[in-house]
Amino acid sequence: MKLTRRSDSKQRLMIAAVVLVISAAGIQADDGTAFFEREIRPILVKRCESCHSAARSKTRGGLALDSAEGWKKGGEHGPAIVPGDVSASLIIKAISYGDDEFQMPPEENGGKLPPGEIARLTEWVRRGAPDPRTQAVARRGGLTENEIRQWWAFQPLAVAAFKSPANSLSNVIDQLIDSRLGSTGLAAAGAADRRTLVRRATYDLTGLPPSENEVAVFLADKSAGAFDKLVERLLASPRYGERWGRHWLDVVRYADTAGENTDHPIADAWRYRNWVIGAFNENMPYDRFVREQLAGDLLHRQDSGEAFARGLVATGFLAISRRFDHDSDKHMHLTHEDAIDTMGKAFLGLSIACARCHDHKYDPISASDYYALYGILESSRFSFPGCEAKQKPRDMVPLQRPEEWSRTVEPWEKAMARTNEELMTIDKELAEAAKGLSAIPAGSLQAISSGSVPEGGGQNLAVEKTRKVKVRRGELLVLTIDPAGNYGADTTAIQWKIRESGSGRSWDLTTDVIGDFLSANPRACADNEASWVFLDARRDSLALLPDQARSLSGNGSLQAWRKGENPAVFVNTSDKPVKVWTTLAARSLFVHPAQDGPVAIGWASAVEGEVEISGRVADAHNGGTSGVNWRLTHVAADLRPILANLRALAGKRQAVARRRDELLARTPPREQAYAVIDAEKPVDTKMHLRGDPEKPGDAVPRRWLDLFGGERVPAGAGSGRLQLARWLSDPKNPLVSRVIVNRVWQYHFGKGLVGTPNDFGTRGQKPTHPELLDTLAAWFVASGWDLKALHQAIMGSLAYQRSSDLADTAAFARNTEADPTNSMLWRFDRRRLSAEELRDSLLSASGGLDYTPAGPHPLPDPAGWSYTQHVPFAGVPETPQRSVYQMTLRNRRAPFLALFDGADPNATTPLRQVTTVPTQSLYFMNDASFHAQAEALARRVVAEHVTVDKVARLYAILFQREATDGEKDRAEGFIKKYEAMLAGPDVGISQAERSQAAWAAFCRVLMSSNEFLYLD
Amino acid sequence: MKNSGDLVNRRQMVQSSVAGSLLFNGLLGELLAEDSAGSGGSKVVSSQADPLAPRSPHFPAKAKAVIFLFMSGGVSHVDSFDPKPRLIADHGREVTFDHPETRNRPGYEKIYLKRPDWAFRPRGQSGIEVSDLFPHIGGQVDDLAVIRSMHTSHSNHYNATLGMHTGSFAFARPSIGAWMSYGLGTENRNLPSFLVLAPQMPYAGTQVWASDFLPGVHQGTRVMPGNEPVANLRRRVATTSRQEMELAMLAEVNQAHQAAHGPDPQLATRIRAFETAYGMQGEMPAALDMTKETDATLALYGLKRGQTDGFGWQCLAARRLVERGVRFVELIHTGSSGNWDSHGTMADHGRLAPQVDQPIAGLLQDLKGRGMLDDVLVVWTSEFGRTPFNNKADAPGREHHNWAFSSWLAGAGARRGFVHGATDEHGIRAVEKPVHVHDFHATILHMMGIDHERLTYRHGGRDYRLTDVHGHVVKDVLG
Repeated sequence: MKLTRRSDSKQRLMIAAVVLVISAAGIQADDGTAFFEREIRPILVKRCESCHSAARSKTRGGLALDSAEGWKKGGEHGPAIVPGDVSASLIIKAISYGDDEFQMPPEENGGKLPPGEIARLTEWVRRGAPDPRTQAVARRGGLTENEIRQWWAFQPLAVAAFKSPANSLSNVIDQLIDSRLGSTGLAAAGAADRRTLVRRATYDLTGLPPSENEVAVFLADKSAGAFDKLVERLLASPRYGERWGRHWLDVVRYADTAGENTDHPIADAWRYRNWVIGAFNENMPYDRFVREQLAGDLLHRQDSGEAFARGLVATGFLAISRRFDHDSDKHMHLTHEDAIDTMGKAFLGLSIACARCHDHKYDPISASDYYALYGILESSRFSFPGCEAKQKPRDMVPLQRPEEWSRTVEPWEKAMARTNEELMTIDKELAEAAKGLSAIPAGSLQAISSGSVPEGGGQNLAVEKTRKVKVRRGELLVLTIDPAGNYGADTTAIQWKIRESGSGRSWDLTTDVIGDFLSANPRACADNEASWVFLDARRDSLALLPDQARSLSGNGSLQAWRKGENPAVFVNTSDKPVKVWTTLAARSLFVHPAQDGPVAIGWASAVEGEVEISGRVADAHNGGTSGVNWRLTHVAADLRPILANLRALAGKRQAVARRRDELLARTPPREQAYAVIDAEKPVDTKMHLRGDPEKPGDAVPRRWLDLFGGERVPAGAGSGRLQLARWLSDPKNPLVSRVIVNRVWQYHFGKGLVGTPNDFGTRGQKPTHPELLDTLAAWFVASGWDLKALHQAIMGSLAYQRSSDLADTAAFARNTEADPTNSMLWRFDRRRLSAEELRDSLLSASGGLDYTPAGPHPLPDPAGWSYTQHVPFAGVPETPQRSVYQMTLRNRRAPFLALFDGADPNATTPLRQVTTVPTQSLYFMNDASFHAQAEALARRVVAEHVTVDKVARLYAILFQREATDGEKDRAEGFIKKYEAMLAGPDVGISQAERSQAAWAAFCRVLMSSNEFLYLD
Repeated sequence: MKNSGDLVNRRQMVQSSVAGSLLFNGLLGELLAEDSAGSGGSKVVSSQADPLAPRSPHFPAKAKAVIFLFMSGGVSHVDSFDPKPRLIADHGREVTFDHPETRNRPGYEKIYLKRPDWAFRPRGQSGIEVSDLFPHIGGQVDDLAVIRSMHTSHSNHYNATLGMHTGSFAFARPSIGAWMSYGLGTENRNLPSFLVLAPQMPYAGTQVWASDFLPGVHQGTRVMPGNEPVANLRRRVATTSRQEMELAMLAEVNQAHQAAHGPDPQLATRIRAFETAYGMQGEMPAALDMTKETDATLALYGLKRGQTDGFGWQCLAARRLVERGVRFVELIHTGSSGNWDSHGTMADHGRLAPQVDQPIAGLLQDLKGRGMLDDVLVVWTSEFGRTPFNNKADAPGREHHNWAFSSWLAGAGARRGFVHGATDEHGIRAVEKPVHVHDFHATILHMMGIDHERLTYRHGGRDYRLTDVHGHVVKDVLG
């Protein structure tokens, strides 16, 4: 809707006429209030307030009409009424339908008002809009002050901060849970057996099963503190950070791609991933963990080395915000929304981003709160990952102090840039000079001889009658190789020798060029007079082959001059034959024509007289093609000026290229982070009316949420991220500690004390155990935000160590009836392994898991990136490392993760869904890699344990328990029957193979079983 | 349509394959429970716990299933379903407006109207004009409700494709098929509720069929032409008997585990999931096995016997899948490249149209002939149209155009032989009864008996809808 404030005389006239009509209708002047109550309030209530009522939290266009303050303040377009001034009052303009773009009420809500009502409203405004209604309740976003005070999550912690060792907190946890169980009459389940406990704790803290040895050690330790010791050992394992870091990566929607239309890869995102894992492993205090992610760059401004670098990397939290559209620079308002949304949910459990278009409907967050935070982000500079419109990433942040960077990297980069520029200039000159070659008229090429080489064959170059050729200095002899019949032809070996008649001088192509093959084209011969030229002979003209390849098929002995892939002239410089697509003879020269035409080699004559030609053209890659044709021609023009120029330039190029190689060899360390730093100048964002950045409203000062005091970013403080980091980790803010202890609880128990971990607002659920939640939060803050201590306290509780079994159904009949979802925690919830746990467990069982932490993903050189929405980035292959290290794409989700409810890489995932679908079963039945893991496990067990009980071993590896006699019998029966099935007359395989196949089948059964997939 | 036959098939399958083994204990138990009238559901898993169990719509509706035909890249409306005589008459005339695809684009300072490359003619009883680009579909025009006033919010493939599927032009949100599965469940649990027959990856990748925040059971399952149409569908164990032996052993191990660890719906559900997967391993290839189709049927789709690819294959597969009770089948023609995006030359349209024209017409005829068009809704659309102008009047191609394009609906309550809405005289703007993508979605949901404002899902403290806060049902196109 567009509204212009031009005054419209026609409209005034019309209004005047209407006023006249009402007066005639006899409405009398009174003290105003009575008039309002009688004539106006009913119209406003009936016609306007369904969309414009603060009390109903419906203020379309920002306008409330249920109080005088509402219309005085007005909406997006300013005050709705100017008392006494009918023509300046927007409300009158709207209801009189004077503007095509701005008509109220709109068609769908009943359309234009009856003339009488318009007249009454107009008269009301004319009289100065008397309005006795005061705003009933002040609102902050969607809530009144009273409602805010009453909502549990905004109240201070109900428990005073206290310090105690972790194990005494464990007792408090049990008291609080047991008292609720007592009051609800639910019976608590008994303790889980020790085998179950070691498995539960190990998966919980590391995402992997315990090894047989670890189980044995724990079972053997009969001391009272055995479980505490186990937990302590697990918390010290580097696997802990990989497991709990993954939880946090879920919350911050980590991905290795940007998510815009082409899903550009982010080469340095992994540093943030590893930073998160490292932070958990070193038990970084949580409040610092929060601050680092928002302002690590500012917190470590004074530091150097590792501390400086890690601070920058931590801001990857903000940098990995999703990017949008074709040119993601132009859609940063969506990226900022994504950042605010994730930040609000992750740290505060508040959906702040709901206030982008209008005040939050249900929580105390206003649109100006949103833009106050937005301003902080807008005052920061985000690394740019590249997108379709701008392929090149930029604004990465060096992981060195600026002065260090300017001392080492900058001069090097400058030198590099200069050298590259020089090369480009020479290449341009070369291209210009080479035009002389392509300008040679086709008619000046005189045929000397020609021939055909069939597939697999060879032919001598010069037949007798053309053995001698008259040639003048500077003229060119050209040998052209053309594919016969089928295009693309083939690798062809060339030998070519030229001898001056009557003198001893001779030139041999291979020996002349094979040393330092890539030094120049044209390549001067030793006499510095003749030269060899490698030519693209397509389109009936000659051009230099411009590109160099320092290796072919990954083999450094092979070097080529070429244009694109082909046409090419290449050599095997090795003293041995090289086997690639075909076997290439030692120290030989080859050519490969292009799909669409020939390749050629020229010899620029140093002879004034007669030369003899010898040599051979031979197929070097037998199979399938139709052979090649060759022809020898003579360019009877003096090319000396052109060739001399080309040679001079080629020499110059070689010198510069050497310099470049030397520079490359001493590249200084210049690692960078995908990070966020302060922009040059901070700005206060102008509100985007209705969330539309094209419709700016008033600027909002950068500040903290009103709900928490609304403190402003002081002048001169930069973006305000440092302040934001402190506000977000303020121990006085009850949400920060409640939200994180609830998350930790949730990952241990499978569900939080608050069931909506990202939403502590009024639309979220209330805690099942409010006192417990506050106790944990208060203790956690007092502990110095110590996550590992919190794990110890929670895992040390009896509640954590309860059995998950329901086998004794009778005993728990009442429980299952009264509390089927176990919200009172009378038992431990059985849970399915996550996608990552499943994959890692399968790999670990087969012995194929690589425990090395991963670094960067093997991405192609960014210089060559040209991703489009048509052909977006498609990922890199999987590695045998842990799942947390696999590449995560935003736009093409890994099928395995999609199948087993992995995290959403596009939005914060507070809790994994657990779905059970047949397509998952198909994975266990038919997936190639699943089968491979089962085969590997079978091989491992069959090979290692010829004499040992294989069934027992498998149960130990997969379930960490002993197999019962019944299970052993059944397994043996299965193996026998399976082997027998394979022994049929039509299956000719050995006993060893039968055995392997049967054990693999049995491994599949166990690896598909519920006991493997579910954790008790 | 599929309903009672579903149960019969499952029972037959159970009995015929490995009766007597332990493999199908769970399923047999459930079938028995379903048989005993008034038993109130099996004690193992109540059907309410199954997120894919068929659910009643908000109000009675004719459509029970959707076949969604998506032409990737942007089909030109003025060359296909939107005849514009003035565009021919004014060919070459310069026009000026602020268009997203020509704004600030070098070489596009001036733009000129460009006439269609195909002639239009009235077709069928209704006389609705369809161009020679789609003569076969034109032959079925009496069954179509053509919407000539479509418009969308973005002129980029990625965003417009995402919008056409999820109602969101930037953020990842559940696909329309996932919403449909969430709202209505599915009729045949041996098959996924939402299938996407996509030989190539479309723009915006898997987001096009993702369930996003909806439970994962509702995500689209991609079906590819070839010998393994669904991932892991092909039995890897060499023989059926060996696979059955493994599955029977697994069932035994799982049941022993469950007996030892107490009744637990999630364990029971997973035991049953293997049975369903086994069913799917048989049912999906059976659904895609076209050997029993008659020559006449194959000819209808322009298929050669034995052909297992091409859009004709996709169309016939779609019929066979909805016949078996799949709720939502999407067919994507081409993908993010080699598609209808004819910037270079409209001759590409001429090359692509025959790939879909006869198959789609065949699908309509086949559905009709089997009485299935009464309860299957066929939707045809693209992410946007193409510009009725270009920077040269004789430019051979057309650019992206989101201000106007044409889509159509057929079957299951769509008004027959009807044209809704109109563009201006040159096909540039949707001026009469414009239909935004949100309205289009609201209408499709409505035809399936779903009120788009009531089909919501609470996520992150907010109730989400396919149509966000927009969308009006286009009542005119309802028969």
